[in-house]
Amino acid sequence: MRWITLLWRIGTVALAIGLALLVAWLIPSSAEYPYRVSRHIEPEQYMFRESEVYSPQNGLQISMNATDEVRVYLLGVSSLELDNWKALLREAYLDSESPDSESPDSESPDWVSPDMETFFIEFYPVPLLFFHEAYPEQPLPDLFNPETQSMVWNITVLDKGLETHPEIILWDPPPGSMFSHELFPEDVLNIMAVVANPSSDTVEVDVEIKKVVAVAPKDRIIFPAQLLISIGIGLTIVWLFSRKFRKSIF
Amino acid sequence: MGKGRPFLEIFTYVFHEDYRFPILEIFAFLFALATFVFADFAGGYDRTGETMAYSLVNTLCEFPLMFIFVVLILKNVAYGLGSDLDRGLMQTLFSYPLKRRHILTARLLSGLGIAVLLFLGIQIFGLFLLAPDTLATYSSTVFLTYAAHLCSPALLLAGLLLLLTLRLKRGGLALIIGVILFLAGLIFSGEVTYIAYATDSDVILKIWAVINPNSALQAYYYHMGTSGFLFGGETWVPSFSEVLLYLWAGYLIVAVLFIVSYIYFDRRLEI
Repeated sequence: MRWITLLWRIGTVALAIGLALLVAWLIPSSAEYPYRVSRHIEPEQYMFRESEVYSPQNGLQISMNATDEVRVYLLGVSSLELDNWKALLREAYLDSESPDSESPDSESPDWVSPDMETFFIEFYPVPLLFFHEAYPEQPLPDLFNPETQSMVWNITVLDKGLETHPEIILWDPPPGSMFSHELFPEDVLNIMAVVANPSSDTVEVDVEIKKVVAVAPKDRIIFPAQLLISIGIGLTIVWLFSRKFRKSIF
Repeated sequence: MGKGRPFLEIFTYVFHEDYRFPILEIFAFLFALATFVFADFAGGYDRTGETMAYSLVNTLCEFPLMFIFVVLILKNVAYGLGSDLDRGLMQTLFSYPLKRRHILTARLLSGLGIAVLLFLGIQIFGLFLLAPDTLATYSSTVFLTYAAHLCSPALLLAGLLLLLTLRLKRGGLALIIGVILFLAGLIFSGEVTYIAYATDSDVILKIWAVINPNSALQAYYYHMGTSGFLFGGETWVPSFSEVLLYLWAGYLIVAVLFIVSYIYFDRRLEI
Protein backbone atom coordinates (compact mmCIF):
# COMPACT_ATOMS: atom_id res chain seq x y z
CA MET A 1 0.00 0.00 0.00
CA ARG A 2 2.93 2.34 0.75
CA TRP A 3 4.28 1.89 -2.76
CA ILE A 4 0.87 2.76 -4.16
CA THR A 5 0.76 5.88 -1.95
CA LEU A 6 4.27 6.83 -3.09
CA LEU A 7 3.25 6.39 -6.73
CA TRP A 8 0.16 8.51 -6.08
CA ARG A 9 2.29 11.32 -4.62
CA ILE A 10 4.67 11.11 -7.58
CA GLY A 11 1.59 11.28 -9.79
CA THR A 12 0.17 14.35 -8.03
CA VAL A 13 3.55 16.12 -8.27
CA ALA A 14 3.67 15.28 -12.00
CA LEU A 15 0.11 16.59 -12.30
CA ALA A 16 1.08 19.84 -10.50
CA ILE A 17 4.07 20.37 -12.81
CA GLY A 18 1.92 19.55 -15.84
CA LEU A 19 -0.72 22.06 -14.73
CA ALA A 20 1.99 24.73 -14.24
CA LEU A 21 3.20 24.08 -17.82
CA LEU A 22 -0.41 24.30 -19.00
CA VAL A 23 -0.83 27.68 -17.26
CA ALA A 24 2.43 28.88 -18.89
CA TRP A 25 1.05 27.65 -22.23
CA LEU A 26 -2.25 29.48 -21.66
CA ILE A 27 -0.61 32.83 -20.84
CA PRO A 28 -1.13 34.71 -24.12
CA SER A 29 1.88 35.84 -26.11
CA SER A 30 2.05 39.44 -27.24
CA ALA A 31 3.26 40.60 -30.62
CA GLU A 32 5.05 43.89 -31.15
CA TYR A 33 4.65 46.25 -34.12
CA PRO A 34 5.51 44.39 -37.30
CA TYR A 35 8.36 45.19 -39.64
CA ARG A 36 7.10 45.16 -43.22
CA VAL A 37 9.05 45.27 -46.43
CA SER A 38 7.92 44.98 -50.03
CA ARG A 39 10.53 44.72 -52.71
CA HIS A 40 11.48 42.87 -55.84
CA ILE A 41 14.23 40.30 -56.06
CA GLU A 42 16.12 39.99 -59.32
CA PRO A 43 16.47 36.53 -60.95
CA GLU A 44 18.89 34.24 -59.09
CA GLN A 45 19.44 36.81 -56.34
CA TYR A 46 18.62 36.83 -52.65
CA MET A 47 17.59 39.43 -50.09
CA PHE A 48 18.64 39.63 -46.51
CA ARG A 49 16.87 41.14 -43.50
CA GLU A 50 19.41 42.44 -40.92
CA SER A 51 19.79 40.38 -37.78
CA GLU A 52 18.08 41.04 -34.46
CA VAL A 53 18.53 39.30 -31.14
CA TYR A 54 15.88 36.76 -30.17
CA SER A 55 15.63 34.42 -27.19
CA PRO A 56 13.58 31.39 -26.07
CA GLN A 57 11.01 33.84 -24.65
CA ASN A 58 11.28 36.37 -27.43
CA GLY A 59 10.56 34.76 -30.78
CA LEU A 60 9.47 35.94 -34.18
CA GLN A 61 6.54 35.45 -36.52
CA ILE A 62 7.31 35.68 -40.19
CA SER A 63 4.76 35.75 -42.99
CA MET A 64 5.62 36.19 -46.63
CA ASN A 65 3.86 36.39 -49.96
CA ALA A 66 5.66 36.24 -53.30
CA THR A 67 4.50 36.48 -56.92
CA ASP A 68 6.46 33.33 -57.76
CA GLU A 69 8.13 30.42 -56.00
CA VAL A 70 10.96 31.49 -53.67
CA ARG A 71 13.15 29.90 -51.00
CA VAL A 72 13.00 31.25 -47.45
CA TYR A 73 15.46 30.66 -44.62
CA LEU A 74 15.72 31.80 -41.04
CA LEU A 75 19.34 31.81 -39.98
CA GLY A 76 20.54 32.03 -36.37
CA VAL A 77 24.02 32.92 -35.15
CA SER A 78 25.12 33.44 -31.56
CA SER A 79 26.61 36.83 -30.63
CA LEU A 80 29.93 35.13 -29.91
CA GLU A 81 30.04 33.53 -33.35
CA LEU A 82 28.95 36.78 -35.00
CA ASP A 83 31.77 38.67 -33.24
CA ASN A 84 34.23 36.04 -34.47
CA TRP A 85 32.95 36.45 -38.03
CA LYS A 86 33.21 40.24 -37.83
CA ALA A 87 36.78 39.92 -36.58
CA LEU A 88 37.56 37.54 -39.44
CA LEU A 89 36.08 40.01 -41.97
CA ARG A 90 37.98 42.94 -40.46
CA GLU A 91 41.16 40.91 -40.70
CA ALA A 92 40.42 39.91 -44.28
CA TYR A 93 39.31 43.29 -45.60
CA LEU A 94 40.38 46.15 -43.36
CA ASP A 95 43.86 44.91 -42.45
CA SER A 96 44.65 43.58 -45.91
CA GLU A 97 47.12 45.41 -48.09
CA SER A 98 44.99 45.11 -51.19
CA PRO A 99 45.43 47.75 -53.91
CA ASP A 100 41.89 48.98 -53.34
CA SER A 101 42.34 49.70 -49.67
CA GLU A 102 45.60 51.49 -50.39
CA SER A 103 44.17 53.75 -53.05
CA PRO A 104 40.99 55.51 -51.98
CA ASP A 105 41.03 57.48 -55.22
CA SER A 106 40.68 54.33 -57.18
CA GLU A 107 38.06 54.37 -59.91
CA SER A 108 37.24 50.78 -59.22
CA PRO A 109 33.45 50.35 -58.98
CA ASP A 110 33.69 48.05 -55.95
CA TRP A 111 35.77 50.39 -53.86
CA VAL A 112 34.18 51.15 -50.44
CA SER A 113 34.95 54.15 -48.23
CA PRO A 114 36.42 53.36 -44.76
CA ASP A 115 33.21 54.42 -42.99
CA MET A 116 31.12 52.19 -45.20
CA GLU A 117 33.55 49.31 -44.72
CA THR A 118 32.92 49.41 -40.98
CA PHE A 119 29.17 49.82 -41.54
CA PHE A 120 28.95 46.82 -43.86
CA ILE A 121 30.98 44.55 -41.59
CA GLU A 122 28.99 45.64 -38.55
CA PHE A 123 25.54 45.21 -40.09
CA TYR A 124 26.02 42.62 -42.85
CA PRO A 125 28.58 40.16 -41.50
CA VAL A 126 26.73 37.05 -42.70
CA PRO A 127 26.33 37.95 -46.42
CA LEU A 128 29.85 39.38 -46.40
CA LEU A 129 31.25 36.18 -44.89
CA PHE A 130 29.40 34.13 -47.50
CA PHE A 131 30.85 36.41 -50.20
CA HIS A 132 34.34 36.22 -48.74
CA GLU A 133 34.18 32.43 -48.61
CA ALA A 134 32.92 32.28 -52.22
CA TYR A 135 35.41 34.87 -53.55
CA PRO A 136 38.35 35.04 -51.13
CA GLU A 137 40.47 37.10 -53.55
CA GLN A 138 37.88 39.86 -54.07
CA PRO A 139 38.06 43.15 -52.10
CA LEU A 140 35.21 44.28 -49.86
CA PRO A 141 32.24 44.95 -52.16
CA ASP A 142 29.74 47.82 -51.94
CA LEU A 143 26.52 46.10 -50.95
CA PHE A 144 24.38 48.93 -52.35
CA ASN A 145 26.23 49.49 -55.62
CA PRO A 146 24.21 48.07 -58.57
CA GLU A 147 27.43 47.06 -60.31
CA THR A 148 28.57 44.79 -57.46
CA GLN A 149 25.14 43.74 -56.21
CA SER A 150 24.66 40.98 -58.76
CA MET A 151 27.83 39.33 -57.51
CA VAL A 152 27.31 39.78 -53.77
CA TRP A 153 23.64 38.87 -53.65
CA ASN A 154 23.95 35.99 -56.07
CA ILE A 155 22.11 32.82 -55.06
CA THR A 156 25.25 30.70 -55.63
CA VAL A 157 27.02 32.73 -52.91
CA LEU A 158 24.12 32.00 -50.56
CA ASP A 159 24.10 28.29 -51.43
CA LYS A 160 27.83 27.98 -50.86
CA GLY A 161 27.53 29.83 -47.54
CA LEU A 162 24.71 27.62 -46.32
CA GLU A 163 26.59 24.54 -47.45
CA THR A 164 29.61 25.64 -45.40
CA HIS A 165 27.53 26.64 -42.33
CA PRO A 166 24.48 24.32 -42.23
CA GLU A 167 24.33 24.68 -38.42
CA ILE A 168 23.00 28.25 -38.69
CA ILE A 169 19.84 27.22 -40.59
CA LEU A 170 16.94 27.36 -38.14
CA TRP A 171 14.09 27.06 -40.64
CA ASP A 172 14.29 25.79 -44.19
CA PRO A 173 10.81 25.14 -45.65
CA PRO A 174 10.27 23.73 -49.16
CA PRO A 175 10.13 26.43 -51.90
CA GLY A 176 6.77 28.18 -52.25
CA SER A 177 5.05 31.52 -52.66
CA MET A 178 3.30 31.81 -49.27
CA PHE A 179 4.94 31.25 -45.91
CA SER A 180 3.96 31.75 -42.30
CA HIS A 181 5.99 30.55 -39.35
CA GLU A 182 6.61 31.24 -35.67
CA LEU A 183 10.03 30.53 -34.24
CA PHE A 184 11.41 30.62 -30.72
CA PRO A 185 15.16 29.84 -30.73
CA GLU A 186 16.66 27.38 -28.24
CA ASP A 187 19.31 29.91 -27.19
CA VAL A 188 19.86 33.67 -27.41
CA LEU A 189 20.57 34.10 -31.13
CA ASN A 190 20.87 36.80 -33.78
CA ILE A 191 18.23 35.74 -36.30
CA MET A 192 18.06 36.93 -39.88
CA ALA A 193 15.55 36.23 -42.65
CA VAL A 194 16.73 35.37 -46.13
CA VAL A 195 14.53 35.16 -49.25
CA ALA A 196 16.09 33.71 -52.41
CA ASN A 197 14.68 33.85 -55.90
CA PRO A 198 15.89 30.78 -57.85
CA SER A 199 13.76 31.52 -60.93
CA SER A 200 14.77 33.42 -64.04
CA ASP A 201 12.09 36.11 -63.49
CA THR A 202 11.96 39.02 -61.08
CA VAL A 203 9.79 38.25 -58.06
CA GLU A 204 7.84 40.70 -55.87
CA VAL A 205 7.88 39.77 -52.18
CA ASP A 206 6.01 41.14 -49.16
CA VAL A 207 7.65 40.18 -45.89
CA GLU A 208 6.20 40.85 -42.44
CA ILE A 209 8.21 40.08 -39.32
CA LYS A 210 6.77 40.46 -35.82
CA LYS A 211 8.54 40.03 -32.49
CA VAL A 212 6.54 37.73 -30.23
CA VAL A 213 6.99 37.81 -26.46
CA ALA A 214 5.88 34.69 -24.55
CA VAL A 215 6.45 33.15 -21.12
CA ALA A 216 7.51 29.93 -22.84
CA PRO A 217 7.61 28.62 -26.42
CA LYS A 218 4.16 27.08 -26.75
CA ASP A 219 5.13 24.27 -29.13
CA ARG A 220 7.87 23.06 -26.77
CA ILE A 221 5.81 22.93 -23.56
CA ILE A 222 2.45 21.59 -24.66
CA PHE A 223 3.62 17.98 -25.14
CA PRO A 224 5.40 17.70 -21.74
CA ALA A 225 2.31 19.31 -20.12
CA GLN A 226 -0.02 16.73 -21.69
CA LEU A 227 2.34 13.87 -20.80
CA LEU A 228 2.75 14.92 -17.15
CA ILE A 229 -0.99 15.52 -16.68
CA SER A 230 -1.76 12.09 -18.19
CA ILE A 231 0.82 10.37 -15.92
CA GLY A 232 -0.57 12.24 -12.90
CA ILE A 233 -4.17 11.30 -13.65
CA GLY A 234 -3.16 7.69 -14.41
CA LEU A 235 -1.30 7.22 -11.13
CA THR A 236 -4.12 8.88 -9.16
CA ILE A 237 -6.65 6.48 -10.72
CA VAL A 238 -4.43 3.50 -9.77
CA TRP A 239 -4.30 4.79 -6.18
CA LEU A 240 -8.08 5.35 -6.04
CA PHE A 241 -8.78 1.84 -7.34
CA SER A 242 -6.34 0.24 -4.91
CA ARG A 243 -7.98 2.13 -1.99
CA LYS A 244 -11.42 1.01 -3.10
CA PHE A 245 -10.14 -2.57 -3.53
CA ARG A 246 -8.62 -2.59 -0.01
CA LYS A 247 -11.81 -1.20 1.53
CA SER A 248 -13.91 -3.89 -0.17
CA ILE A 249 -11.58 -6.66 1.16
CA PHE A 250 -11.41 -5.47 4.76
CA MET B 1 15.02 -6.86 11.44
CA GLY B 2 17.83 -4.89 9.74
CA LYS B 3 18.50 -1.18 10.01
CA GLY B 4 16.87 -0.48 6.67
CA ARG B 5 13.28 -1.06 7.76
CA PRO B 6 13.22 1.23 10.85
CA PHE B 7 15.05 3.89 8.80
CA LEU B 8 12.38 3.59 6.12
CA GLU B 9 9.64 3.72 8.78
CA ILE B 10 11.03 6.97 10.19
CA PHE B 11 11.65 8.42 6.72
CA THR B 12 8.04 7.62 5.74
CA TYR B 13 6.70 9.23 8.93
CA VAL B 14 8.85 12.37 8.48
CA PHE B 15 8.02 12.62 4.77
CA HIS B 16 4.33 12.37 5.59
CA GLU B 17 4.69 15.11 8.23
CA ASP B 18 6.80 17.42 6.03
CA TYR B 19 4.76 17.10 2.89
CA ARG B 20 1.13 16.59 3.86
CA PHE B 21 -1.09 16.63 0.77
CA PRO B 22 -1.05 19.09 -1.08
CA ILE B 23 2.09 20.92 0.26
CA LEU B 24 4.51 19.12 -2.08
CA GLU B 25 2.17 19.67 -5.04
CA ILE B 26 1.75 23.41 -4.32
CA PHE B 27 5.53 23.90 -4.15
CA ALA B 28 6.03 21.82 -7.33
CA PHE B 29 3.45 23.98 -9.11
CA LEU B 30 5.07 27.22 -7.89
CA PHE B 31 8.61 26.10 -8.82
CA ALA B 32 7.51 25.00 -12.30
CA LEU B 33 5.47 28.09 -13.14
CA ALA B 34 7.98 30.52 -11.60
CA THR B 35 10.82 28.97 -13.65
CA PHE B 36 9.09 30.21 -16.82
CA VAL B 37 7.82 33.49 -15.38
CA PHE B 38 11.11 34.59 -13.82
CA ALA B 39 13.52 33.30 -16.48
CA ASP B 40 15.07 36.41 -17.93
CA PHE B 41 17.04 36.25 -21.14
CA ALA B 42 17.12 40.03 -21.54
CA GLY B 43 20.16 40.19 -19.26
CA GLY B 44 21.94 38.01 -21.78
CA TYR B 45 21.43 40.28 -24.78
CA ASP B 46 24.56 42.30 -24.22
CA ARG B 47 26.40 39.27 -22.88
CA THR B 48 27.58 36.15 -24.54
CA GLY B 49 28.22 32.51 -23.78
CA GLU B 50 28.96 31.63 -20.19
CA THR B 51 27.98 35.05 -18.85
CA MET B 52 24.57 34.73 -20.47
CA ALA B 53 24.09 31.23 -19.00
CA TYR B 54 25.14 32.52 -15.56
CA SER B 55 22.80 35.50 -15.85
CA LEU B 56 19.88 33.21 -16.79
CA VAL B 57 20.36 30.78 -13.86
CA ASN B 58 21.01 33.71 -11.53
CA THR B 59 17.59 35.19 -12.31
CA LEU B 60 16.02 31.84 -11.41
CA CYS B 61 17.81 31.69 -8.06
CA GLU B 62 17.10 35.22 -6.91
CA PHE B 63 14.54 36.65 -4.51
CA PRO B 64 11.06 35.24 -5.16
CA LEU B 65 12.02 31.70 -6.16
CA MET B 66 14.87 31.30 -3.69
CA PHE B 67 12.64 32.70 -0.93
CA ILE B 68 9.94 30.09 -1.67
CA PHE B 69 12.61 27.38 -1.63
CA VAL B 70 14.18 28.62 1.62
CA VAL B 71 10.73 28.81 3.26
CA LEU B 72 10.14 25.15 2.30
CA ILE B 73 13.52 24.09 3.72
CA LEU B 74 13.13 26.12 6.91
CA LYS B 75 9.58 24.82 7.41
CA ASN B 76 10.89 21.25 7.25
CA VAL B 77 14.19 21.63 9.08
CA ALA B 78 13.32 24.21 11.74
CA TYR B 79 9.58 23.96 12.21
CA GLY B 80 9.29 20.20 11.56
CA LEU B 81 12.19 19.15 13.77
CA GLY B 82 11.29 21.79 16.38
CA SER B 83 7.72 20.46 16.57
CA ASP B 84 8.98 16.90 17.02
CA LEU B 85 11.19 18.05 19.90
CA ASP B 86 8.51 20.30 21.36
CA ARG B 87 5.70 17.73 21.24
CA GLY B 88 7.89 14.89 22.51
CA LEU B 89 7.63 12.89 19.29
CA MET B 90 11.40 12.61 19.17
CA GLN B 91 11.26 10.30 22.19
CA THR B 92 9.06 7.92 20.21
CA LEU B 93 11.54 8.06 17.32
CA PHE B 94 14.44 7.33 19.71
CA SER B 95 12.67 4.09 20.72
CA TYR B 96 13.36 2.69 17.21
CA PRO B 97 16.39 0.37 16.98
CA LEU B 98 18.42 3.04 15.20
CA LYS B 99 21.31 5.30 16.10
CA ARG B 100 20.37 8.91 16.72
CA ARG B 101 22.38 10.11 13.75
CA HIS B 102 20.36 7.85 11.44
CA ILE B 103 17.15 9.41 12.75
CA LEU B 104 18.52 12.87 11.94
CA THR B 105 19.64 11.61 8.53
CA ALA B 106 16.10 10.39 7.79
CA ARG B 107 14.71 13.80 8.79
CA LEU B 108 17.23 15.74 6.70
CA LEU B 109 16.81 13.40 3.74
CA SER B 110 13.11 14.19 3.71
CA GLY B 111 13.20 17.86 4.74
CA LEU B 112 16.28 18.91 2.79
CA GLY B 113 16.99 16.18 0.23
CA ILE B 114 13.50 15.99 -1.26
CA ALA B 115 13.19 19.81 -1.32
CA VAL B 116 16.54 20.24 -3.13
CA LEU B 117 15.64 17.46 -5.56
CA LEU B 118 12.28 19.08 -6.28
CA PHE B 119 13.73 22.58 -6.74
CA LEU B 120 16.68 21.55 -8.93
CA GLY B 121 14.78 18.87 -10.85
CA ILE B 122 11.95 21.20 -11.83
CA GLN B 123 14.24 24.14 -12.66
CA ILE B 124 16.58 22.07 -14.83
CA PHE B 125 13.58 20.47 -16.56
CA GLY B 126 12.14 23.96 -17.17
CA LEU B 127 15.48 25.22 -18.51
CA PHE B 128 15.71 22.17 -20.76
CA LEU B 129 12.30 23.06 -22.25
CA LEU B 130 13.13 26.75 -22.54
CA ALA B 131 16.73 26.82 -23.70
CA PRO B 132 18.14 23.33 -24.34
CA ASP B 133 21.11 24.68 -26.29
CA THR B 134 22.18 26.97 -23.43
CA LEU B 135 21.85 24.11 -20.93
CA ALA B 136 23.85 21.70 -23.11
CA THR B 137 26.59 24.14 -24.14
CA TYR B 138 27.18 25.77 -20.75
CA SER B 139 26.31 22.90 -18.42
CA SER B 140 29.37 23.53 -16.20
CA THR B 141 28.39 27.21 -15.73
CA VAL B 142 24.81 26.16 -14.93
CA PHE B 143 26.09 23.57 -12.42
CA LEU B 144 28.46 26.06 -10.73
CA THR B 145 25.75 28.73 -10.44
CA TYR B 146 23.29 26.29 -8.86
CA ALA B 147 26.05 24.99 -6.54
CA ALA B 148 26.81 28.56 -5.39
CA HIS B 149 23.15 29.43 -4.78
CA LEU B 150 22.49 26.14 -2.98
CA CYS B 151 25.45 26.70 -0.69
CA SER B 152 24.21 30.10 0.40
CA PRO B 153 21.55 30.95 1.38
CA ALA B 154 19.82 27.52 1.20
CA LEU B 155 22.21 25.04 2.88
CA LEU B 156 23.97 27.62 5.04
CA LEU B 157 20.66 28.76 6.55
CA ALA B 158 19.48 25.15 6.88
CA GLY B 159 22.66 24.24 8.83
CA LEU B 160 22.42 27.30 11.06
CA LEU B 161 18.74 26.76 11.75
CA LEU B 162 19.26 23.05 12.42
CA LEU B 163 21.77 23.89 15.13
CA LEU B 164 19.58 26.66 16.50
CA THR B 165 16.48 24.42 16.58
CA LEU B 166 18.39 21.73 18.46
CA ARG B 167 19.56 24.31 21.01
CA LEU B 168 16.20 26.11 21.40
CA LYS B 169 14.05 22.98 20.96
CA ARG B 170 11.44 25.32 19.47
CA GLY B 171 10.76 25.38 15.75
CA GLY B 172 8.62 28.53 15.48
CA LEU B 173 11.26 30.86 16.85
CA ALA B 174 14.00 29.26 14.72
CA LEU B 175 11.80 29.67 11.63
CA ILE B 176 11.33 33.39 12.32
CA ILE B 177 15.08 33.84 12.89
CA GLY B 178 15.72 32.01 9.60
CA VAL B 179 13.43 34.32 7.62
CA ILE B 180 15.02 37.39 9.25
CA LEU B 181 18.53 36.08 8.43
CA PHE B 182 17.50 35.46 4.82
CA LEU B 183 16.15 39.00 4.42
CA ALA B 184 19.16 40.50 6.22
CA GLY B 185 21.47 38.63 3.84
CA LEU B 186 19.49 39.95 0.90
CA ILE B 187 19.80 43.56 2.10
CA PHE B 188 23.48 43.17 2.98
CA SER B 189 24.36 41.66 -0.41
CA GLY B 190 23.05 44.86 -2.00
CA GLU B 191 25.10 47.05 0.32
CA VAL B 192 28.40 45.16 0.38
CA THR B 193 29.69 46.72 -2.87
CA TYR B 194 28.93 50.23 -1.59
CA ILE B 195 30.77 49.48 1.67
CA ALA B 196 33.78 48.21 -0.28
CA TYR B 197 33.69 51.35 -2.43
CA ALA B 198 33.31 53.65 0.59
CA THR B 199 36.14 51.98 2.52
CA ASP B 200 38.26 51.61 -0.61
CA SER B 201 39.00 48.02 0.35
CA ASP B 202 37.93 44.69 -1.13
CA VAL B 203 38.31 42.76 2.15
CA ILE B 204 34.58 43.01 2.85
CA LEU B 205 33.85 41.60 -0.62
CA LYS B 206 36.16 38.65 0.03
CA ILE B 207 34.63 37.91 3.45
CA TRP B 208 31.17 38.11 1.92
CA ALA B 209 32.29 35.75 -0.88
CA VAL B 210 33.14 33.08 1.73
CA ILE B 211 29.62 33.35 3.21
CA ASN B 212 27.95 33.85 -0.16
CA PRO B 213 30.08 32.25 -2.96
CA ASN B 214 27.65 33.50 -5.59
CA SER B 215 29.01 37.03 -5.10
CA ALA B 216 32.46 35.79 -6.22
CA LEU B 217 30.88 33.97 -9.16
CA GLN B 218 28.94 37.12 -10.09
CA ALA B 219 32.06 39.30 -9.93
CA TYR B 220 33.88 36.75 -12.09
CA TYR B 221 31.22 36.44 -14.80
CA TYR B 222 30.05 40.06 -14.96
CA HIS B 223 33.58 41.41 -15.29
CA MET B 224 34.83 38.53 -17.46
CA GLY B 225 37.70 39.66 -19.66
CA THR B 226 37.86 43.13 -18.05
CA SER B 227 39.82 44.47 -15.11
CA GLY B 228 36.50 45.33 -13.41
CA PHE B 229 35.38 48.91 -13.03
CA LEU B 230 32.52 50.04 -10.84
CA PHE B 231 31.54 53.55 -9.75
CA GLY B 232 34.49 54.84 -11.77
CA GLY B 233 36.98 52.84 -9.69
CA GLU B 234 38.55 49.41 -9.91
CA THR B 235 36.63 46.61 -8.26
CA TRP B 236 37.60 43.14 -7.08
CA VAL B 237 37.47 40.50 -9.80
CA PRO B 238 38.42 36.97 -8.69
CA SER B 239 40.02 34.46 -11.02
CA PHE B 240 38.20 31.21 -11.78
CA SER B 241 40.36 29.20 -9.36
CA GLU B 242 39.61 31.78 -6.65
CA VAL B 243 35.89 31.38 -7.34
CA LEU B 244 36.22 27.62 -6.85
CA LEU B 245 38.14 28.24 -3.64
CA TYR B 246 35.37 30.48 -2.28
CA LEU B 247 32.81 27.85 -3.25
CA TRP B 248 34.76 25.17 -1.37
CA ALA B 249 35.09 27.49 1.61
CA GLY B 250 31.32 28.08 1.59
CA TYR B 251 30.62 24.33 1.49
CA LEU B 252 33.20 23.78 4.24
CA ILE B 253 31.27 26.15 6.53
CA VAL B 254 28.04 24.31 5.64
CA ALA B 255 29.70 20.93 6.34
CA VAL B 256 31.03 22.16 9.71
CA LEU B 257 27.54 23.38 10.71
CA PHE B 258 25.98 20.03 9.84
CA ILE B 259 28.75 18.01 11.55
CA VAL B 260 28.37 20.09 14.75
CA SER B 261 24.59 19.59 14.56
CA TYR B 262 25.04 15.82 14.15
CA ILE B 263 27.45 15.63 17.08
CA TYR B 264 25.11 17.72 19.24
CA PHE B 265 22.08 15.60 18.26
CA ASP B 266 24.03 12.37 18.81
CA ARG B 267 25.69 13.14 22.13
CA ARG B 268 24.40 16.28 23.79
CA LEU B 269 20.72 16.53 23.01
CA GLU B 270 18.68 15.87 26.14
CA ILE B 271 14.99 15.19 25.88
